[in-house]
Amino acid sequence: MIFAKMSKNTAALKREENIIHLTYEDIAMLKKEIIYRNPLTSLGYENEDILADGGFGAVMAHAGVGKTALLVQMGLNTMLRDKKVLHVSLHDAVSKVDVWYHELFQNIAHNFNDAAVKEYWENIQPRRFIMIFKEENFSVPKLEERLTELMEQNIFKPHTMIIDGFKFDEIGRKPLAHLKELAGKRAIRIWFTVHAHRHEERAPNELPVWFLHVADLFEVIVELAAENDGVFIKAIKGETPASFQTSLHLDPSTMLVKGSK
Amino acid sequence: MKPDDKKVRNIGISAHIDSGKTTLTERILYYTKRIHAMHDVKGKDGVGATMDSMELEKERGITIASAATYCEWKGYEINIIDTPGHVDFTIEVERSLRVLDGAILVLCAVGGVQSQSITVDQQMKRYKVPCIAFVNKCDRNGANPFRVINQLKTKLGHNAVAMQIPIGLETQTEGVVDLATMKALYFDGEMGEVIRAEEIPQSLLEEAKAKRDELIEAASLFSDELTEAVLEERGITAQLLYSALRKGTLKREITPVFMGSAYKNKGVQPLLDGVTYLLPCPSEVQNVALDMEKNEEPVVLANDSEKPVVALAFKLEDGKYGQLTYIRVYQGTVAKGSTIVNVRNGKKVKVGRVVRMHADQMEDVEQLPAGYIGALFGIECSSGDTFVSPGVHLTMTSMFVPKPVISLAIVPKDNKSQMAMAKALNRFSKEDPTFKTYVDPETSETIIEGMGELHLDIYVERMKREYNAEVTTGNPRVAYRETITQRADFNYTHKKQTGGAGQFGRIAGYIEPVSDDEFVFVNEIFGGAIPTQYIPACEKGFRQSMAKGPKLEFPITGVKVVINDGASHPVDSSDMAFQAAACGAFREAYLRAKPVIHEPIMKVVVETPPEFQGAVMGLLNQRRGMIIGSQDEGVMCVIEAQVPLAEMFGFSTVLRSATQGKAQFTMEFALYRQVPQSIAEKIALEVAQNKKSAA
Repeated sequence: MIFAKMSKNTAALKREENIIHLTYEDIAMLKKEIIYRNPLTSLGYENEDILADGGFGAVMAHAGVGKTALLVQMGLNTMLRDKKVLHVSLHDAVSKVDVWYHELFQNIAHNFNDAAVKEYWENIQPRRFIMIFKEENFSVPKLEERLTELMEQNIFKPHTMIIDGFKFDEIGRKPLAHLKELAGKRAIRIWFTVHAHRHEERAPNELPVWFLHVADLFEVIVELAAENDGVFIKAIKGETPASFQTSLHLDPSTMLVKGSK
Repeated sequence: MKPDDKKVRNIGISAHIDSGKTTLTERILYYTKRIHAMHDVKGKDGVGATMDSMELEKERGITIASAATYCEWKGYEINIIDTPGHVDFTIEVERSLRVLDGAILVLCAVGGVQSQSITVDQQMKRYKVPCIAFVNKCDRNGANPFRVINQLKTKLGHNAVAMQIPIGLETQTEGVVDLATMKALYFDGEMGEVIRAEEIPQSLLEEAKAKRDELIEAASLFSDELTEAVLEERGITAQLLYSALRKGTLKREITPVFMGSAYKNKGVQPLLDGVTYLLPCPSEVQNVALDMEKNEEPVVLANDSEKPVVALAFKLEDGKYGQLTYIRVYQGTVAKGSTIVNVRNGKKVKVGRVVRMHADQMEDVEQLPAGYIGALFGIECSSGDTFVSPGVHLTMTSMFVPKPVISLAIVPKDNKSQMAMAKALNRFSKEDPTFKTYVDPETSETIIEGMGELHLDIYVERMKREYNAEVTTGNPRVAYRETITQRADFNYTHKKQTGGAGQFGRIAGYIEPVSDDEFVFVNEIFGGAIPTQYIPACEKGFRQSMAKGPKLEFPITGVKVVINDGASHPVDSSDMAFQAAACGAFREAYLRAKPVIHEPIMKVVVETPPEFQGAVMGLLNQRRGMIIGSQDEGVMCVIEAQVPLAEMFGFSTVLRSATQGKAQFTMEFALYRQVPQSIAEKIALEVAQNKKSAA
């Protein structure tokens, strides 16, 4: 106990003295901070990845609630666990996605000294690859072609893929089923953002009617909702263990669960 | 000269290389009757465009130095700074933007917003330069001005609105529909100098109405009068629309987009109208100087010709008649025969000839009032110097100057070349703050330093052409740096007390890494263990040690030195002894502080057709590149990566052969990063070999 206290004090002291290198304690603390406050693990998933190989997950919300932020935070979570993330965006520029990651990381790590955060960021940044498509140019075969190039040339082998801006109501079931097959073959799990609209028709399972034709391809679906001044997350599809909480309050600036565990 | 600054525009023309900005400038000068014949950039007549005044620029078809030129359009006086398009010359662009009040962002109707446009746009943002855009090359195959407008919105985040729609595109380019006046404009005459305004063709009427509605909607945010007119369904005059758009443009909240083809003489005159209607006059721009007497407190300058002079020398040129200094007057009047002071060195200068430039031709004037751009003859100064009236202690804010990342040894072929080379180097380092030169004391070689391979290449070629200095160049060398990664204590005694005057000094303390500063010295000695008079000598000794690492001999950065104990001798201690003790102490602690090498990392942006995307990524990957991302744009694909500079030599040749010459890339310094262990070992080996061969 005394030893633990001492090492914590030393870490704090070192930070004050402007030491550039992060200590092991710092890294462990940073990882814990992010992983403990990950809203999805807080929903009760035991597996850190939440999804298995070839699994599909969706984060559904109205515009501006924080779908991208939540997925970027999950991307960071994966990067911190030494695994690689391919972030595919159909509406933002490379620089904008990069800023999302950078800022969210800075927000989470604001307690640590700037130089240490900068160095740690440089260490984990190579674990992320941003791929931008114009919405009108995007197709699953094109994505497959790019992914194959990356993997076969040994440039980047993603563990998790994030697809932001996929139009489920326009793209039929077939391409998505093909993508799932591809994810299984390449041992990747994919998270999507799903843009829900206000006043739209919902099925009894709370999913929008236009999403039903692909809903069975997804293992996990969560919904983000803005109420009063906070953002809440609730599980629509997926594991419901005993500790299941119907809703979790998120910090809108980081999309992490408010307060440390 | 008429000092009515409401009718003055100081503008720049910024763009990606090959967007046609030099051609556009040439057309502007023709229509404003400053020149009487037009030439192309790579002209068949061998004359070249007027703004590309340097021989080399003419040959390469790119603009290197930003020549300032002056012209008149419908009673407005326009000063144009033609800015360089290549990233290696970014300092030139930045310097130009510093003195501008507004800019035309030229974009290619086929290529759209390219990587360089993004860099230039960021620079414009930094200096808060309001701009209008011109979509050029509408006559080219694949031209689509509306795609470019869309890219302006999505890639650069501009609130871009079309001021015109094209009448025909590609080979069918005939003219434009002006959405403010709702007239179709055709450009007749051999050189497009006769503008014929007609009714809008029936086939374009619907589109024109829709685009005009979009324009009005965007403009109405900046004018209540316009909003009222829209709500009351009154007719909206072009003047009302322009005044609303002007407000938005000055705040950088809207970017009006003009279009045409400078090469085919279409759409240039309406763009000039746009410059006069929409871009600011000098008094509408707030310029800030620093008061040197009040700890560099910012002072807002009054654009008043009667007040004391504050002027900035933003460009130097070595011409037939001696040094020509381009200045922008921010306050007061620089008149022939008056006396001004160079703030940097306090030297008084008497103003001789004052001229207004038109590329490489000049016109004598009596004075340059506030807000004007012109040139002075026979004034010795460096680029970026501020000139003021005697008694004034203001300086214009220092310009952001990045440190050089690459160096090259140059050896003159003969004595004559050596003389010429010295003269050229002196001139270049005065003109360009990112270009540095020194003589290596160990090898006695002349070293030049700059921002990239091409940057140095151009200067070597300029030496040959303009100064007849034949030089051979060595291999480019990367500017590595060393830094420490952990704290290390020292306790060192310098003692020489055998025979003659003795030397004694002991210093104790520690060194540790510091992130934002290059060198920090802290004196924590209490009780006089080291007498106060020797502390500066200690600092000097440590500072000297930073110039060269003890093992690899690269400059050291990011070190904090704290001294907390020591000892002195009443007779044998001296400044020299403590300086030597500091050097010894640093050497002692440095190797225990786990030093590492840092290397410059470049941001590399490659634009390639999608079919070569995999190959390009492979090339970047082989070069220790970290690919940040790729952006699929349909016809082109943009790959952004961070690559060590050391791996980028000869990349252009490799890229060309891997992509059938269809890809292009830009490169700029991004950051310093620690080199991997295996590479560090290789560098250490190279350094050792070089030392051996030098010995």
